[in-house]
Amino acid sequence: MHYTATMLSLQTFRASLLRKSFTPTITIRQYASQTPGNPMLEVFNRKVKHLQKDRAARNVEESRKVDYLKDEVAMRLCERLLDIKRDFPNVLDLGANSCNIARAITSPDLDSSMPEGVITPPLSKKISKLTCVETSHALLHRDDNEPFNKEVDIQRDVIPDLETLPYAPNSFDAVLSSLSIHWINDLPALLAQVNTILKPDAPFIAAMFGGDTLYELRGSLQLADMERRGGVSPHVSPLADVKDVGSLLGRAGLKMLTVDVEDIVVEFPDTFALMKDLQAMGESNAIMNRDMAPLSRDVLLANEAIYRSLHMQDGDRGIPATFRLIFMIGWKEGEGQSQPLQRGSGDINLKDVLEGGDFNKP
Amino acid sequence: MPGRTRPVEKLAKASAQCSVEVAAYGKCVVADYNSVHKDMCAKEFMRLKNCYLAASKKG
Repeated sequence: MHYTATMLSLQTFRASLLRKSFTPTITIRQYASQTPGNPMLEVFNRKVKHLQKDRAARNVEESRKVDYLKDEVAMRLCERLLDIKRDFPNVLDLGANSCNIARAITSPDLDSSMPEGVITPPLSKKISKLTCVETSHALLHRDDNEPFNKEVDIQRDVIPDLETLPYAPNSFDAVLSSLSIHWINDLPALLAQVNTILKPDAPFIAAMFGGDTLYELRGSLQLADMERRGGVSPHVSPLADVKDVGSLLGRAGLKMLTVDVEDIVVEFPDTFALMKDLQAMGESNAIMNRDMAPLSRDVLLANEAIYRSLHMQDGDRGIPATFRLIFMIGWKEGEGQSQPLQRGSGDINLKDVLEGGDFNKP
Repeated sequence: MPGRTRPVEKLAKASAQCSVEVAAYGKCVVADYNSVHKDMCAKEFMRLKNCYLAASKKG
């Protein structure tokens, strides 16, 4: 709606400009059509998201119970940090939720590639200071008194808006982010800020929900809506796709990008349990212009039936829910940083290195 | 909140007792899921709802 309005006024404005500048003595100047304050398309309602997180975290017991997904992802994210043989004096956790990353870096035995019995020291030995930033006070301070707080120096910052970071340029040795930036409206702008606050040659490592996350629920709710109410309303928020993430990082100026995808499939007893858990995680739908009324009982009942017949495997007791995680790593440009080689400049066939490129061979 | 069942828990409990009706309705919608329209499976749904209402009264 907004877009068409501005387009129209811009066109009429241009037309009048052309008419005025028709005298041959005046050279035509080019106008940059950038409106002040970069227009932003709002996808998610930030206020609603904040309320959802705050409310969810106030029920401490429930909120802790559903931390299984965020803890698991934080672990997997921090495993990627193990690969970098370096110390990180000053680290930022962007959108910290309940400081799941702090919990992951203080847990020993994080390295799953080590053989059993070999205990690796926790990552917190390499990290002197962790700054956790989050919009929800209740969620960020939920685990203030847990033992892991003593093992690493944590600074908790509550900011009104995750899309404007209050940190000085070149201040962090690494920026981590686990399951948070899928709620950001203006991801390019945020990534550009991340690139600024990183020190030269410092990594940004993040995990977010992407593309096919909860595709089962998305589909069955649509069908239930169609059959019961005769129309569709978005009940599951849209997510970024894997193929967009690379270009997003590149656009922000980050170098040496790595993007990979992992699926986590969680089994729930029924769709009600799934939706209850999502709510307790503070991960409910927060799209703009969503249907403010809760889902009606009829649609919920219909959804349960359709989900079961579409996705439940024979013999299973529960229903599967897929969470697709996009992991991304990007580095800020720095002196002496290794550069990727030109395309086509390789002279060793990767097939020979990895051996047995022919997958048809037994 | 202790001492109060949330509506969603009631839904879960009651609908678990209607597995036959749940399966019948699900099958009906999924059978032709490319052209779902309003009240396509109204009959099956009413059966499911009746069962659900009866079950939620009991429990």
